[in-house]
Amino acid sequence: MSAEGILSDIKVLEIAHAASGAFCAKLLADQGADTIKIEPPGGDEARHEPPFIDGEPHPDRSTTFLALNTGKRSVTLNLEEAAGRALFLKLAADADVVIESFQPGRLSGIGLGFDVLRARNPKAIVLSITWFGQTGPYAHYKGDDLIAQAMGGFLYAVTGTADKPPMGTTLQQMELTAGRNGAIAIMAALLARDESGEGTHIDLSVMEAAIATPSMLVQNYSYLGKSPRRGAFDKFVMDGMHLPTKDGEVTLTTAGTGGRPMEAWAEFLGEPRLLDPKFATRASRNDHWEELRDLVVPKLKEWNNLDLMRETMARGLVIGLVQSPTQVVESPHLEARGYFVELEHPEVGTLKYPGPGFMLDGANPMQTTRAAPRLGEHNEEILGRLR
Amino acid sequence: MWGPGPEGRSMSALLPLKGIRVLTLEQVHALPWGTAFLADMGAQVIRIESVEHLQDRKAGPFVNGKPGPEWWNEGANLAYFGTRNKQSLCLDVTKPAGKDVFLKLVKHCDIVTDNFRPGTMQRLGFDHESLARVNPRIITLSSTAFGYTGPWAKAGSRARTVDSVCGMSYLTGFEGGPSQRASNNYMDHSTGNNVAFALLLALYRRKRTGKGMRIDLSMQETGVSCIGPAILEAQRGIARPRLGCSHLWKAPHNIYPCAGADRWIAITVSNDAEWAALKQIMGSPAWADDAKYRSVEGRHQHRHELDRHIAEWTAPQEDKTLMRSLQSQGICAGAVMQAADLVDDAHLKQREFIQTIQRAGGPRLYAGRPFRMPGLSMAIRRTADLGEHNEAVLRDVAGLSSTEIAALAADGVISNRPRPEEKAP
Repeated sequence: MSAEGILSDIKVLEIAHAASGAFCAKLLADQGADTIKIEPPGGDEARHEPPFIDGEPHPDRSTTFLALNTGKRSVTLNLEEAAGRALFLKLAADADVVIESFQPGRLSGIGLGFDVLRARNPKAIVLSITWFGQTGPYAHYKGDDLIAQAMGGFLYAVTGTADKPPMGTTLQQMELTAGRNGAIAIMAALLARDESGEGTHIDLSVMEAAIATPSMLVQNYSYLGKSPRRGAFDKFVMDGMHLPTKDGEVTLTTAGTGGRPMEAWAEFLGEPRLLDPKFATRASRNDHWEELRDLVVPKLKEWNNLDLMRETMARGLVIGLVQSPTQVVESPHLEARGYFVELEHPEVGTLKYPGPGFMLDGANPMQTTRAAPRLGEHNEEILGRLR
Repeated sequence: MWGPGPEGRSMSALLPLKGIRVLTLEQVHALPWGTAFLADMGAQVIRIESVEHLQDRKAGPFVNGKPGPEWWNEGANLAYFGTRNKQSLCLDVTKPAGKDVFLKLVKHCDIVTDNFRPGTMQRLGFDHESLARVNPRIITLSSTAFGYTGPWAKAGSRARTVDSVCGMSYLTGFEGGPSQRASNNYMDHSTGNNVAFALLLALYRRKRTGKGMRIDLSMQETGVSCIGPAILEAQRGIARPRLGCSHLWKAPHNIYPCAGADRWIAITVSNDAEWAALKQIMGSPAWADDAKYRSVEGRHQHRHELDRHIAEWTAPQEDKTLMRSLQSQGICAGAVMQAADLVDDAHLKQREFIQTIQRAGGPRLYAGRPFRMPGLSMAIRRTADLGEHNEAVLRDVAGLSSTEIAALAADGVISNRPRPEEKAP
């Protein structure tokens, strides 16, 4: 593939202040889109999110900001002032994509609504990515990722166990899911624009992204007549439980056992008592799950994670090592794949960044990207030529 | 099988992928979820199925948990992503005649996708290089657990094992508690979304360069891309704690009990103004005036005690009423919704997010896509019965005569129902 990236003929303007829009723009930027992040003079909110590389708060050292803003250039503009708005409109005049996450109505309120952008630039694809979408009774509600997990059904039904209150997950996953959906929608709009020559306005809701993701909720309810609830796998020793090993944890599966899971695992672990008929079916294993766990765990504790992975793989068994982020960073497999890309940053030095998850013609497309910009790093370069 | 759906109301004027043809050898969840986006956008997605492997059609869920007489066409998930807006070609590609037909189709297709383990496509003679010889502009995508290269390439996965191996499970759990899986299928969805994104990128590039592409997509790597900040932190010795529903610096930021069984509300406070507003709504209780709650840092430091006080206040209240009341005062709050709440939710109704289709003997509800674009219908317009499109695809795409098609059916290379000995799930 070209060294420039697939989207190098596309200009993106991001005026988002949440992870959803930032991640969406990053996905495009890492594929070569010329992406300008417009920040308020004090910087994007994520710049002030802990933790910070080297500890002390610093606008260029937030790990959240660094991770979600690769490939972009940064410009600070005060959209509360007419001069800032005028500069924004100049930038928008030749943008292909504008990603914004203001409360519905807020951009119109300061004279930068979709109609204004469209008048300036009929080809612009505007993605509005908000907690609850542009319409409906919740349109003006406030949100954050936990609220999206709650209102999207994720908290009640997905993470967590049956015997405890709902528990969510981490690192703004509902926002990231919304961001990925946004990238899909933008690609569709770009392909449609090739034919129509016209831009469009996309309305994306983080709450709806959350619902569409643990997707079994609605149709399950409709077919089975009851709301799915968290904890369905709580007693699945062979198929879901986290179990200790010598140096970590693992989750087993019954996959790859040719429909004879207990035979396969009894042989692999060297524990013939697993062949007891009381463990023969999933239902009977659940009835005796504590006893089963107490047979399996001592055997697993004889294994180091990486050895266990290698040997189960050789026999076609499927397991999941519960890896820490450190183990992921140090993974020999990912190293061999060339998955992480080292990017240099003047404030935090060189760090390895995750790739997008796909290799194109054998190459990691992240290789052409750059580390997140410092606050206002490109003011002169970009605004200088507009003045 | 066609569902009337809402397309009668908003027949899509915009089909960005009209004219694009996708052949997909797909099973289970991640890849079908990804190709469904392309089908929604107007691509002709031909799902190749096999009577040898009917797991997806056995997976349900079925109405009231009971498979009906035509169980292989009735599962709920088939309509949501398995055959959503796709065609079904039930073709045995392991037989020589089936393989010939497959390669004839490849000649007239734009994209071929699969989610076999690495090696299977090559064994079938369907690896990228072989397909590119038949069709030099072909885009191929293989969606696998760990990618085509590297020491773990041969390992299989389930979405929940990806959740653990990518680092997500390690970061998830109650404060001070053990690691916990974030989801049984979040990684399927993230991977599927990544499939759609990668394929759209490849189509975009081909429009400009005329070149095909080989995409090697990894579920594990998609998972790691979901925890970027923690990956950077790990390289500099910063340990990210498990926090349950708590937050690294916001407090209150948790769920609190409400009236009724297993009813909860999430409340999150980011700054002093929101805290002041919350205090006022709570009736300015004496405890809330304690100096230790005056700053963001103080509230976070004393968050457990703070959570107990707030829980006492929320416990007798109705979750949705409290949510409306808090939001009307500018406080970030959301009821912990169950599926039954979602299908009844006024906001989602007004946004027409939930779609009703006629299926499996009655009206069935499905969540929609989270984005809306004028003219573009991402609704479920139809689902495909097993082998429903055998004849149409073989005739119109592969150019076979009705005699040739009849011969394939007689030889069992194509079929449109399970074999007689197949048992209902």
